[in-house]
Amino acid sequence: MKDKKLRNDIILVASLLLIAVVALVVILSTRKKDNLIAKVYVQNEVVETIDLSTKEEKEYVIVGLHGNVIVETKDGAIRVKESNCPHQDCVHMGYVSETNRPIICAYNAVYIVIEGASDVDVEIG
Amino acid sequence: MKIKKFIPFFLMGALVSCNSQNFVESKVFCFDSVVDFKLYNATNQDKKAVEDILKYYDKISDNYDSKSGVVNLTNINTTNEEIEISEKLYKMLKSSFEVSKLGADFFNPLCGSLVKKWKDSLGEGKVLNEEVINSELDKINNSELKFLDNNKVQRIGEAELDLGGIAKGYVLDEIYNYLKEKNITNYLVDAGSSSILVGEKSSGDGYYSVGIKNTIIQNKYFKVKNAFVSTSALNEQGVLIGDKMYSHIINPKTGSAINLQEAVIVISDKGYIGDALSTSMMMNTLEEIKAIEAIQNIKCIVINNNSITYHHPSIEVNDR
Repeated sequence: MKDKKLRNDIILVASLLLIAVVALVVILSTRKKDNLIAKVYVQNEVVETIDLSTKEEKEYVIVGLHGNVIVETKDGAIRVKESNCPHQDCVHMGYVSETNRPIICAYNAVYIVIEGASDVDVEIG
Repeated sequence: MKIKKFIPFFLMGALVSCNSQNFVESKVFCFDSVVDFKLYNATNQDKKAVEDILKYYDKISDNYDSKSGVVNLTNINTTNEEIEISEKLYKMLKSSFEVSKLGADFFNPLCGSLVKKWKDSLGEGKVLNEEVINSELDKINNSELKFLDNNKVQRIGEAELDLGGIAKGYVLDEIYNYLKEKNITNYLVDAGSSSILVGEKSSGDGYYSVGIKNTIIQNKYFKVKNAFVSTSALNEQGVLIGDKMYSHIINPKTGSAINLQEAVIVISDKGYIGDALSTSMMMNTLEEIKAIEAIQNIKCIVINNNSITYHHPSIEVNDR
């Protein structure tokens, strides 16, 4: 009877440990999502996924609808450095490092969205 | 005793089931924005249906380029002949002309050419010439859109149509109708941060938290569910020339690009009304905004001098 009780206790403790490990894995994998990721789209297709947390200074050549769009990353932020679009709105936005503030080059159908953790569900403005 | 053995496994099952959520999501580039949506307890068919709604309305409301397969605003803007359009565009245009009767005094869908000229001028860092403004105002005042039978319209005069002030809100209304028909109640559709449709959140108290993305007020949020949230703001598209901030929102009565408010957020139960009102209210005084709010059953937040100068008493604006 005592052995059976001991065995049950061991199962209970082992199971709780397993739950703790699973919970830890879930928390760590969620924490990884806190890193900011920039996704570059051309006509609704992702053509480049850039991890901004590396803070790497790098240029990317994105082939847009009407020409090349030069995208640059630096210090965890991203910008459109050059574009052949007429209004240059995307270039004038400068560096962006916040979520929910996409950089859009409508002329070239290129847009850049930063994804990562936010303390709100959605932002307006 | 046997049941006790299985408790941990029940707990693990519960943990796993809590973590798995049945949703579909997508990002669609349309209306010169990124529309980002997430639908819970929905299928890939629903996702495609919402994408199709967005793409269709983007095509028919485009006033820069004609599109193959559909008659759109560009086609109407380039003729004074009677032109047959889709029933959807016909209804959208009718709504755009009716919205001025609902308090949006400074919303006029005929100011397309004036808006384009201001945009080009501000793009070069210049204030639009007074003569050009007066010429454009003459065009607006001497133009109209006639609604004929069988989904036909006829543009009279030279003014050009522009549905930019209501397009996103209107398409959110169409998406809302689709979701309601399919009994989908948990959703978030973010049409480029200026127009948002929220259902009931699938977790917590059911409310979505909406951050106010003003350049200064990034530390505020409010909660909302089952509503449309629309905003117009100077912060991203405003252009500072001299000591004056010029807006992309143009007063169709005076032709001026100077707004009275820095940002207006409207919470409504109709997307296109919220969109038109938030645009128009940029040129209203605070007293006028409060009066419209009372009549139209909407709730407003007004931002000026980088702080919230007014919010409807029922909206709780909190620190983040």
